[in-house]
Amino acid sequence: MHYSKAHIWFVWPAIILMIVILILPIFLAGGISFTNYNLGNSSFEWVGMENYEKMFSRKTYTKMIIATATYVLIVVPASVIIGLAAAVMLNSLRFGADIYKTIFFLPVMATLLAMAIAWEFTLHPTLGIINSFLADGCGGIREFILGFHWLPWVGSEDSWYSVACANNMDFPYWLKDKKTAIWTICFIGIWQAFGFNMVLYLAGLTSIPRELYHAAEMDGAHSTWEQFKLVTWPMLGPTTLFVVTITTIRSFQVFDTIEILTKGGPSKTTYVMMYAIFEKAIMQNITSIGAAITVVFIVFIILLTFFQRYVIEKRVHY
Amino acid sequence: MLARHYIGESWKHGLLIIGALIVLIPFYMMVSMSLKSQQEIQSISGGLVGAQEIQTFPVCTKHGYTEEVCTMRPYKYNFWFAFKKAPIPRYLMNGLIVTVSIFLIQVLIALPCSYALAKLRFKGREFVFSMVLFCLLIPVHAIALPLYVMLAKAGLVDTYAALIIPWTISVFGIFLMRQFFMTVPDELIDAARMDGMGEYSIVWKVMLPVAIPALLAFAIFSVVAHWNDYFWPRIVITGNRDLFTPPLGIREFRGGIDSDEFGPMMASIVTVTVPLIVAFIIAQKRFVEGITMTGMK
Repeated sequence: MHYSKAHIWFVWPAIILMIVILILPIFLAGGISFTNYNLGNSSFEWVGMENYEKMFSRKTYTKMIIATATYVLIVVPASVIIGLAAAVMLNSLRFGADIYKTIFFLPVMATLLAMAIAWEFTLHPTLGIINSFLADGCGGIREFILGFHWLPWVGSEDSWYSVACANNMDFPYWLKDKKTAIWTICFIGIWQAFGFNMVLYLAGLTSIPRELYHAAEMDGAHSTWEQFKLVTWPMLGPTTLFVVTITTIRSFQVFDTIEILTKGGPSKTTYVMMYAIFEKAIMQNITSIGAAITVVFIVFIILLTFFQRYVIEKRVHY
Repeated sequence: MLARHYIGESWKHGLLIIGALIVLIPFYMMVSMSLKSQQEIQSISGGLVGAQEIQTFPVCTKHGYTEEVCTMRPYKYNFWFAFKKAPIPRYLMNGLIVTVSIFLIQVLIALPCSYALAKLRFKGREFVFSMVLFCLLIPVHAIALPLYVMLAKAGLVDTYAALIIPWTISVFGIFLMRQFFMTVPDELIDAARMDGMGEYSIVWKVMLPVAIPALLAFAIFSVVAHWNDYFWPRIVITGNRDLFTPPLGIREFRGGIDSDEFGPMMASIVTVTVPLIVAFIIAQKRFVEGITMTGMK
């Protein structure tokens, strides 16, 4: 340690930028959310809780919360579980692991906006290869597998696949149908996120000492599953917590796929918070409502991270 | 025992191959569309690359080019016409300018600060560090709206400055570097001081070279994030094409899915997406490291 005045010039630029760019905007959003301010207007009035009352009473915002919650609650568990499964499988392979790793990591790297457009065409009802692949499979093995005919209680009248085949290839308009749009968006979200989680889990797996598995075997845990339950899963606790938090924060911020593919529709089923902020505040120039949504959004995220830190301190220490 | 092992391996490979195929579908679609002619795209025929028959393209002649110029193979036409229709090199250049400036400013601000937090003793150090920890909680995208209001009030909408300013402070970078500098032995710094170096030269001549591995990881994380970012440029760049970053350019090519030719559109998207993907495949290990270091402990 050393005494010097140099720290003033080292630290102050960062402090000023943190205050101006990260902390001040939170208070600004808080302030604007209690007014009827619109960007471009020179004056504004204080309106108290009006913006928040609107947010919690209007149907649009209920749909916004439902869409966001659906997206987060589907994408987070699914991409974490798939990421973990992929990591455990890759870790036990004797060859080829690197190729799979590269492929699974591609969606994390690639420009999401470009990939959203690629998905748009892939899922397009007439141009896309998904629906043509399904149509080609009518009456064949694809119908049997994907139509769940192998389940004893699914007859040809119940199977979505057979019904579509019978109705002149009436397969879903994935992104245009309000029954399927949010699930399709979730699917793309999982597709994009799981590779990142996989890589974090792979890093976590390499830090588990081999001896623990030998010890578990001595204790009678012979099957892969028992060893996973006894050693791998608990040892990955901190990784899991981190992966869950970061995936949650990212999922809350989903925007690119929504703006390109659905614009929040059909009938607001994919109207997530980031898109709502964008649409209200930027497209329609209703800054005050956008600010209110921003405040709710920030509160969500900060609570979530505090919760994570709390859990880390209390539970996942070895 | 051995046979059981092989069976165990092969079902894993089966599952992983199915997974890999699903992951690759949109990439296949993107590359395939950028190579094929409009007819082949619309009839979903021709496999990955199409028949590549030499033909005259009507949209091209409508744009005023002679028939001779407009006669070529589809893959060539798609890429050639994409570059004719939009200033793609300009978009790529903008992407480069923005990502590189962001990274350089981030380092300029974060490196001295993290050095001070790790190695200098001064009043309020703990407070500054806890401020860094608090700011780690705030995703910049979440406060995009108030930031936009501030930049609009400052008259900075539609400038490079608007694209760069919000990202100049990387608390994550400060945190990462500080953790890294904590592991650097004090003797190294003391020796530099004995040699008569000031604190400034210590930061740039001693600490910077030491921090190269961490900086490289951070560079990859930062460049990837800002090259791919769409939300922020979408907000602050409203119409000036000269300032479009690659994702904004892509967004513009998309135009109407019903009206336009798909081949050149996908060709432009491939052109914009390819640089990062190629860089990733070449330096895979570094990329994975860089991106996963995001917040690891």
